[in-house]
Amino acid sequence: MQHAAFGTSAEVRIRLGGPAGFGIKAAGQTLARSFVRAGLSTFDLTEYPSLIKGGHNTYHLRVSPDELFSHVEPTDVLVALDRATVDLHLAELTDGAALVYDPATVDVSDLAPEGLCLVAVPFDDIVKEAGGAKIMRNVAALGAVLGHMDFPIEHLAESLRAQFAHKEPQVAEQNVAVATGGWEHARRNACEFPHTLAPIEGAPKRILVDGNEAVGLGALAAGIGFYAAYPMTPASSLLHFMATRAEKAGVIVKHPEDEIAAMNMVVGAAFGGTRAMCATSGGGFSLMVEALGLAGASESAVVVGLFTRPGPATGLPTWTEQSDLRFAIHAAQGEFPRVVLAPGDRADAFELTWRAFNLADVLQTPVILLGDTYLSDNRQSVTPFDTASVQVERGELQVEGDVEGYLRYKVTESGISPRVLPGVEGAQQIVNSYEHDERGWGSLGEDASTRAAQNEKRMRKLELARTIVPPARRYGPQEAEVSVICFGTTKQPVREAMRKLAAEGLAVNMLQVVTVWPFPADEVAAFLRGAKRTVCIEGNLTGQLQGLVREQCLMDVDESLRRFDGRPFSPEQVEMKLRGVAGRA
Amino acid sequence: MPEPSEFDTALKPTWCPGCGNFGMFTALKAALAELGWEKSGFAVFWGIGCHGNGADFYDVAGFHALHGRALPAATGFALTRPDMRTIVIAGDGDGYGLGLGHFVHSLRRNVEMTCITHNNQIYGLTTGQASPTTEHLMRTPSTPAGVLEEPVNPVGLALASGATFVARGFSGDVAHLTGLYTQALQHKGFALIDVFQPCVTWNKLNTHPWFRERVYKLEESGHDASDRQAAFELSMSTFHDMTCTPEECRVPIGVFFAEEGRPTYQDGLSQLDRPMWKHAQAPRDVAAMVEELG
Ligand SMILES: Cc1ncc(C[n+]2csc(CCOP(=O)(O)OP(=O)(O)O)c2C)c(N)n1
Ligand code: SF4
Repeated sequence: MQHAAFGTSAEVRIRLGGPAGFGIKAAGQTLARSFVRAGLSTFDLTEYPSLIKGGHNTYHLRVSPDELFSHVEPTDVLVALDRATVDLHLAELTDGAALVYDPATVDVSDLAPEGLCLVAVPFDDIVKEAGGAKIMRNVAALGAVLGHMDFPIEHLAESLRAQFAHKEPQVAEQNVAVATGGWEHARRNACEFPHTLAPIEGAPKRILVDGNEAVGLGALAAGIGFYAAYPMTPASSLLHFMATRAEKAGVIVKHPEDEIAAMNMVVGAAFGGTRAMCATSGGGFSLMVEALGLAGASESAVVVGLFTRPGPATGLPTWTEQSDLRFAIHAAQGEFPRVVLAPGDRADAFELTWRAFNLADVLQTPVILLGDTYLSDNRQSVTPFDTASVQVERGELQVEGDVEGYLRYKVTESGISPRVLPGVEGAQQIVNSYEHDERGWGSLGEDASTRAAQNEKRMRKLELARTIVPPARRYGPQEAEVSVICFGTTKQPVREAMRKLAAEGLAVNMLQVVTVWPFPADEVAAFLRGAKRTVCIEGNLTGQLQGLVREQCLMDVDESLRRFDGRPFSPEQVEMKLRGVAGRA
Repeated sequence: MPEPSEFDTALKPTWCPGCGNFGMFTALKAALAELGWEKSGFAVFWGIGCHGNGADFYDVAGFHALHGRALPAATGFALTRPDMRTIVIAGDGDGYGLGLGHFVHSLRRNVEMTCITHNNQIYGLTTGQASPTTEHLMRTPSTPAGVLEEPVNPVGLALASGATFVARGFSGDVAHLTGLYTQALQHKGFALIDVFQPCVTWNKLNTHPWFRERVYKLEESGHDASDRQAAFELSMSTFHDMTCTPEECRVPIGVFFAEEGRPTYQDGLSQLDRPMWKHAQAPRDVAAMVEELG
């Protein structure tokens, strides 16, 4: 049975496609920015192979007057910079969709344009006329998209002027001229566009942000002083984000020889009292594992970003997955407390990052931010982050004054020991990777009762963590026919599907496990007990979250949906599953 | 001014009697005392090995880090605490095996810190296996037929990596070693002191008498420590054949190379104007950066 599409009829889905190296993502983001400036909501999805030139790149942009939770599958306007784009994406075109292309480079004479509007625009000629460089053909295409949609050009013009503000004025003006050329050309086109998307005057301000930018802003807000990372997709853009702001914000940003160095540097910086963080993907995290344990043993307050891409080994560098959940929870030998937070969208990413620094300081232990490519790489328009709500809690850290009786690893009821900044007079003690006594001495840590006491002391912090970590988030009605449990970005397509199904009379609710460790067993169990039919949706092959539910709650879900082909869940796929679980296929 | 004994803790060193680590322990405390370093003004980072067990015996602020990883941990500290000095104490297995990459990169970075390597040419703590500086063809529990690799040349490698201060010491000459430490600790840049430290338990070749018969002091030999090329040649000519007789081979100790005035890594960081923890006394105002994404 064919179900209705996502979104209202005003919503438009645009795909730009072409060979790698054509600046497709940059062009798409320019378009997204102009829609956001026009008061609309956007959600984008960039898909590209791990190549600098060649290969097929696409950028999918969803635009709507309503808030958007995720990408969707269909396309209403396809901009094809090569013929491969047409062939790869023809099947996803909706009724009345437009194909925007330059007839000089893309031959579509074999296509039967039933229900398809062919918008032939001579990109290269328009660029030549404006005296621009060849790369500006993308801009002509953007203009053509808006022209065909009957959408004003002014926001794109503004957006281009802002983008090229740092160059000579004629660069911006050439771009505007090219965009206008494309716009005018497409407006001459005869066929009707079935969607009516218009700017919203006086809409509340939104920002356009990807997950890495959100994490970076959260870290900066939290007062980070040291960031170290070795480039690895999809975490690399966070390194660039921090590096470009380092001098102005007062942060030391280091790209060292490898992830082993990055993580050990972060631990060393944290020892000096500095708020310190590193981020990577699974391969780099593998190299960081020993030092993660070092942070646990030495009780160092560090934040580590683990942004998952499909593994194992080099895997699929530019695609997405949620297969590092167990890895994040179990990485490193021995036992020590840790907190693992899984942001589900960009607002989560900002908030959970600054909270991660507080948790690390209060608990004196590593905190892992578990994200994925879907979060890191894709931009969403969101309400500007609430920077006024950010707080800094440094826990027991003492930076000056009397240190009489100081014992770095004092056995306490809460498990939290005093921590005095190195450099404070009289506070010189050893922070240790070896098991140690209260004073930090490794040779005395071999005593059986001392070992047991320190081990228990550390693990008591996990009990304290349970009382201060962010709770699971519940979405949807109290009573529902289907109840979903998920973590991380899967929340986004699930929310999108829930909204559609609610409008069609199928009530679904969802529990997003935000703190995946310590696992919120009581909340999850309560949610499952109150549910009719339950389904666990996660982006991995073996059901890592479902396994945790079984192990931690001694319960199970009725069904599961898993995806592990490198692609994110689409709301269409989730919708179909939810209908099936409800017996309403 | 502190006395050397003020750097002792309540714990007595547990190294094997006669171990070269004792001489290095004495020399470093003496150098710190001579320079009048307050305990609140520096931090020490140790690797893992017999050398690292010294962490319990010095009354200082310190971090007993991972095997091979003292340098990066110390770098994170040095790059965020411009108000403090940083000392690294590494082993030859630790610093030239697992830590070799960090060693080369620390040198080319010229991070301001002092790195002292306890070079006993053997794995002490793990019962005598071959280390990266063990003599070619020497038999050890992990190389019963003899080591088939040439040893790493720490001094030559350091010079080739852009070192600004390279010295070699011998733990059997504490007064000379103390002098090297005081120079290194005052160097503005990355200072390496590779110290021959006989392991009396496991290394039966490079023993105290072996070194005593062969070492000579560079400051008495007319070596020009401002000449990198001369230093490099010296490091090559004397390193690779240590099975020779005392007449045939002489082992130089002292400062091979020292260059003042080269910018340190820290010099390149204009934002390093305060201890970096101070940025976390209150939330940083990022409202303008958020706004920029509009
Ligand atoms: C990752 C890792 N691998 C191996 C070890 C075991 N280990 C401890 S000390 C050591 C070698 C010690 O030799 P060296 O660094 O020369 O120090 P020494 O004991 O001679 O002072 C090894 C292999 C370890 N602690 N960590
Ligand atoms: S094993 Fe060797 S290096 Fe270790 S303490 Fe004994 S003599 Fe010293």
